[in-house]
Amino acid sequence: MKEIPISKRNLLVGLILAVVLALGILAIQLFIHPDGQDSKTSPDDNLASNSAVTALEAFFHVDYQEGQDAWLNRICAASTSSGCQFISAGASQMWKKYGDEKTIVTAKVTPEMKLAETATEQVWKLSVSLSAALPGSNKTQDAAYVAVSKTDKGWKFDRFLLEPEVKVILARQAGTATPVGGQK
Amino acid sequence: MMKKIILFLTILALLVPSTVHAQDQNPWNQVFDQNGNLRSDLTDLGVTTEHPSWMSVPLPFGQSLNLDANYHRYQTSDGNVVVLPSASTLFFMAMNPQASGLSQSKGMISNGQGGEIAFLGMVAGNSVDWNRVFADHPDMKTPDQFWGSVLSGQQNVWTYFSGWGFITTLMQMSWNDTALRTAYLMYMNGAKNCAALPGGCSGVVTPPAPPPPPQTKTCPDPKVATSPLSASILKTAPNNPLVVGQDTQSRRGADVLAKATIPPVIFTWYEAIYEDHKVCGIDNLTGLSSCHTEKVFKECREHVEHLPDAVVSMQATAALDSASQSWITSRLGQTHYGAYIHQASFTLIPGIGSWSGSCDGGGTCTGTGPALKVPFADPGTFNLHMSGVTSGTHFMGISITPPRQFSADGSLQVYVTLPSLVP
Repeated sequence: MKEIPISKRNLLVGLILAVVLALGILAIQLFIHPDGQDSKTSPDDNLASNSAVTALEAFFHVDYQEGQDAWLNRICAASTSSGCQFISAGASQMWKKYGDEKTIVTAKVTPEMKLAETATEQVWKLSVSLSAALPGSNKTQDAAYVAVSKTDKGWKFDRFLLEPEVKVILARQAGTATPVGGQK
Repeated sequence: MMKKIILFLTILALLVPSTVHAQDQNPWNQVFDQNGNLRSDLTDLGVTTEHPSWMSVPLPFGQSLNLDANYHRYQTSDGNVVVLPSASTLFFMAMNPQASGLSQSKGMISNGQGGEIAFLGMVAGNSVDWNRVFADHPDMKTPDQFWGSVLSGQQNVWTYFSGWGFITTLMQMSWNDTALRTAYLMYMNGAKNCAALPGGCSGVVTPPAPPPPPQTKTCPDPKVATSPLSASILKTAPNNPLVVGQDTQSRRGADVLAKATIPPVIFTWYEAIYEDHKVCGIDNLTGLSSCHTEKVFKECREHVEHLPDAVVSMQATAALDSASQSWITSRLGQTHYGAYIHQASFTLIPGIGSWSGSCDGGGTCTGTGPALKVPFADPGTFNLHMSGVTSGTHFMGISITPPRQFSADGSLQVYVTLPSLVP
């Protein structure tokens, strides 16, 4: 058996390096995630939030020249079948307004945080930025609260939350919300 | 989940008629027949769609998605309206009972909130975090208690939902099967206050206005006319009655007849005659034309009634006048010792005779009291007196004239044969 002699000095240097390395890792983690929460997002979260982003960008991409059907087709491609019907139910009134105002708008959507979830559903808060204001509004930046569902075709947009649902979820937000970091 | 909901709604629909007919004397009897089918005399108001604020989904940037509230409605013969909302509409109504008018309905399938509770439980029950409900409300033991408090506005159901997809599933179910309506909401007198109905006034048949009250002073007051009645009492035979014992027949005496004749009371009254006139116009509320029948005064029809006033009692007496009594005891006694008054008075009717009465078809009534072979034993003048009372008149149970009294006097001369000695 071969003996490797380690001097007391080398041992001391090694210990110091190990401590510095551990502190460095800890410092890096604290710098990036100051609230101390886990930054890991599951693949499902990414897919769910992506479906919400896709659907909302489709929903707020309005070009009165292409017609209501094309607009709805884009939305429905990113939605559950029931979500497609939900939007379609009130689409005519909305589109009439867009047509009357000759609306042309595009949207950039960013997930902000997952607010709630079940095994097959998630609720997300997303930030929506528009290229121009929609009829009846002077805002180009707003938040959207949506539910997405896991289907056999993957995660799909289901619907915008109703006002009382949003109120309840916002009241719970502080305790259960999971912020999203660098997903998109 | 959709299969489960459909199965529940189907079962609920089958239960509706039997539930309704479990209660007697309720307005649901005008909705369902004895077999539990919708009655054929219901007016089908058709399907109405509206966009109420409580079915509006607010979207970012001030946009909104206005969902359809959809009702199939029927009107009963006495103006109640039955509303059958679609499944999704019923859900939103239950979530907004005040704004949607659900709380103004008499009830769902006449079963209070029981049906609504069951409906909510089946549609949304799987999406409620029951552990949290019961943890927050230890007094609640069953989900029905929770749904009951939601319907009464005491609980915010949104606080306890743990799932979200059931709403779009419900909407999709409603759209795919528009006939899927299981809740029967009764709105009493809904036709009169159709603006407050779910679905508004569209198609509602405005009930006809009530007929005007009868004009009570249009016709003259009734009149009563009476004619004088006649009464008499007189001797009918023989021409010159002798005191009994001296007449040729054995105790022939005399016959007396009392009689009364009561002419009818003429009662004239007037009947107001109305004609039905059909009046049509445009309903201010609905803008639809509607007709109703009004009673319009035409004339006063005169009715003349000849009311009989029947004799109900009659009496008659005969009494020897005082002069005759004095003559018997003084003058006659001087020539015929021991002359005395045998019987100064007689009760003729009722007594020696009795009376009878009748009325003819014209309303004239008579009372006749014959007293035959009255054994007058004293010579002189007998004063005859008769009296009586009528029944009064009535018409259709109402007293028109009171009873009347009648009387009459007469006299009767009784003769005696006195022997005299001729030298």
